[in-house]
Amino acid sequence: MTPGWLLLVAGLGMLIGMVSAFRAKRVWLAATITSAVAALAAAAWVLKAGATWVGRTTLAIGGEPIHLQLDGLSAFFLALLALLGGAGSLYAMAYWTDQQHPVSATSGRAWWNVLLLNMGLVLIVANGLHFLIVWELFTVSAYFLITRERHRREVRAAGWLYLAASHAGTLCLFAFFACLAAHTGNWELGSMRERMELAPLFWLALAGFGLKAGLFPLHIWLPSAHANAPSHVSAILSGVAIKMGIYGLVRFSGWLPVPDLAGWVVAGLGVLSAVLGVAFALGQHDLKRLLAYHSVENIGIILIGLGFAMMAAANGHAAWGQLALAGGLLHVWNHGLFKALLFLGAGSVLHATGTREMSRLGGLWRSMPWTAGLFTLGAVAISGLPPLNGFVSEWLVFLGLFDALSARGATAGAAIPAAVLLGVTGALALACFVKVCGVVFLGLPRSKVAEQAHECGWPMRIPMIVLGTACVAIGLAPVLFWPAIVTASAAWQPFWSETAAPAPLLTLGAFHLVVAALAALAAFALWRRARHNGIRRTGTWDCGYAAPTPRMQYTAGSFAGIITGWFRWILRPERHARIPNEPFPAHAKFEEHTPETVLEHVIEPAGSLVMRVSTAVRRLQHGRLQAYILYLLIGLAALALVALMGGGK
Amino acid sequence: MTTAFDILLRLLLWLLLAPLVPGIINKVKAWVAGRRGPPVLQLYYDLAKLWRKGVVLSTAVSPGHIAGTAVAWMALVLAALLLPAGPAGAPLAFRGDALLFVYLLALARFCTALAALDTGSAFEGMGAAREVSYAVLGEAAIITALIALSLQTGSVSLTTMLAPAAGAGAALLAAGLFAVLLAENCRVPFDDPNTHLELTMIHEVMVLDHSGPPLAAVLHGASLKLLMFSVLLVQAVLPAGELSPLTAACALAGSVLAVAVGVGLVESLLARLAFRRVPLLLTTAFLLCLFAALVSWRGGHL
Repeated sequence: MTPGWLLLVAGLGMLIGMVSAFRAKRVWLAATITSAVAALAAAAWVLKAGATWVGRTTLAIGGEPIHLQLDGLSAFFLALLALLGGAGSLYAMAYWTDQQHPVSATSGRAWWNVLLLNMGLVLIVANGLHFLIVWELFTVSAYFLITRERHRREVRAAGWLYLAASHAGTLCLFAFFACLAAHTGNWELGSMRERMELAPLFWLALAGFGLKAGLFPLHIWLPSAHANAPSHVSAILSGVAIKMGIYGLVRFSGWLPVPDLAGWVVAGLGVLSAVLGVAFALGQHDLKRLLAYHSVENIGIILIGLGFAMMAAANGHAAWGQLALAGGLLHVWNHGLFKALLFLGAGSVLHATGTREMSRLGGLWRSMPWTAGLFTLGAVAISGLPPLNGFVSEWLVFLGLFDALSARGATAGAAIPAAVLLGVTGALALACFVKVCGVVFLGLPRSKVAEQAHECGWPMRIPMIVLGTACVAIGLAPVLFWPAIVTASAAWQPFWSETAAPAPLLTLGAFHLVVAALAALAAFALWRRARHNGIRRTGTWDCGYAAPTPRMQYTAGSFAGIITGWFRWILRPERHARIPNEPFPAHAKFEEHTPETVLEHVIEPAGSLVMRVSTAVRRLQHGRLQAYILYLLIGLAALALVALMGGGK
Repeated sequence: MTTAFDILLRLLLWLLLAPLVPGIINKVKAWVAGRRGPPVLQLYYDLAKLWRKGVVLSTAVSPGHIAGTAVAWMALVLAALLLPAGPAGAPLAFRGDALLFVYLLALARFCTALAALDTGSAFEGMGAAREVSYAVLGEAAIITALIALSLQTGSVSLTTMLAPAAGAGAALLAAGLFAVLLAENCRVPFDDPNTHLELTMIHEVMVLDHSGPPLAAVLHGASLKLLMFSVLLVQAVLPAGELSPLTAACALAGSVLAVAVGVGLVESLLARLAFRRVPLLLTTAFLLCLFAALVSWRGGHL
């Protein structure tokens, strides 16, 4: 079957799913998963063959004939969408059940299909007008999925913030596509690199797609939206939806000429997002909010790769540019996989305990061994540690940066801080995920709910296992996925025709295999030796303190305290403490909360300023006729004055 | 077959020589203090004893506690495979192995810190928090040192990067890397390996609940890491890759000995820093490496 038929099957499956979502949830699941498999097959076909599939009909929507195109780049993102969409659908069956959510589960399934269908269409339409339509549908359907629990106040607030921010971005995109159409004379999209007058449009695209991608400081909507959505929705939003912004940036920086500064700005924003994203993540004590901030960090890593690729393309350095781009693109997949895995893991913790507050959890490995193990796997991957996939993509970006160094010149000057800060980001992410895994899954339960937690069922476990396997596969055999990256980057920059995998990638894969095998062997050997010598169990050593309680364990806040102290200048944590100081101290408490600084210290003051000015202006409008006549007279007098002074020119 | 034999032989050499370094450091400290001190081979005796001993495990720990310790040790051993030894080079060398080396050390840190949090002890949580926080600055310094070496040699493989002498920025690089060595291996002035006060420790407090063979793996891993950092520091400065094998071996052995003596002297003459001063010293190490990088940048141009 050709990609065209497969895509048709996928589209039909989504529509059937949409209709059957209300009555027959098994039909919905079957249709949605079939459609995901068909889309995955279409994407794999294009990525393997390296050919572009084009579909044109005379059927017109909005006066424009339908023009679909699945090239390497679209297929690369479509593959991720299909895998995560399928996994999320299965997870949703057990996570957001009709019994627990009688109203929101059924309509949620329908909106889920609208979201997946429109994200797929965003990837394959090649017409500006249709792009805007499906983009808007995708944005709005995500709003309805985020606000599944709209009886809760913070969910409504998160939804509104998302809607407002998304539409600010869509506004930029309207301007972008309208200017593009005005310059080219039609809405058709395609490669037009030679038309240099289009270059300044890139800034509009950067603002519009950047808002969707959630790069710093345009990320204000992201943490609350991703934290308050149901977990399978958070997974698809973090894994795929924000990648639509990346897709837009990669797509239009490949099709259109870009300004000279573009690469620098993108890389700079990438570094900023990476470091500050993880710094904000460290300050969080809400599990899902923390994961959401890590999306900002990983978008930053992707943008570092893209930014340096753009610099390389501008200067004609094919070799390291391709490495940086390959790293960035592979990180799109990797982040999608491990972030979805982590969100699904966080979802099953939330499902089992009913809380996202990390300081109320602890010791969950006893009751939830599968979730704990898979979440830790995702944590190793997201911290960029060998032998998993996160390291492979970060390593490719690093190689690009180090090769840029030997090219000297201005780009090398940019590569030094970028490489150092990428390393710092990795170390900060490691600190953050040691904190998460340690506080949530290890130690002793800090509350009743954590004690009474239960493992999730197989429908929730299987999607996590699938995603974890994908993380391991890319980590251990990165060479297998190299052709897909090459096809995608050839769609971005046709002149970079390097198709052979860089030799070290093969060695790295082999080394990762050795690491995995020997680590397992060492663990087994040490365990056996310990068993052989005899194991005695006793309480944890606490300096001889007689009555330790689980609440005395180190908390998430204290664990991150050193690092959040370094970033105090931007995190602006709010502290409420009552220090005991009487001879017989009675009450003491300490609270720390890291707000969304950009939102609370930049956007909200600006908003309230606008409100104040508007209120002041509104005083003119009060319904007194005499005053209105006075305004008219003043206006007429002013006009007469202008006419007299202007002298009839 | 010969390569496999070669790899095994070198691995054995790394594993066997590693416990010597802490022995030398302790001997130097004893001499400075006018004591006789423990024998140089003390750590070997300790390891052999611990390997035979039973294990006392906390009731709170998961099966990941022992696994984490083992993975951390294995990550350090595999990192040793990537380090070159003079003109013989590394058993495994490819473009980008320098970054793999840094990230294998990070993997070891991840596993050690998680094994510490596994016990649920507040002290061990404190130690793990300090370890991963200060490592952020240490990582910045190491990456910058790699940038300095890469600027000079145009390579991202440790074997080529470490072969020539460090050039004009050698003193800066050596000072920066020495500070990182002290921090990463938890020596004075960052941490005191001999302290018995849990509140003030970093690395030692993370392993309070380890015993028997797992403790042996921790101690051996720590000594291996110390040896690796000494070898890295020495080769970053000396043109070890360009000497004849015999001279290189002697120079390498002599310099590692000198580093160990240096660590011992620092430990005898300095007091441990207050914790709030630690970031300052690590930032200084980072800046030293950064200046070394700038020197190699200019060196390439002039």
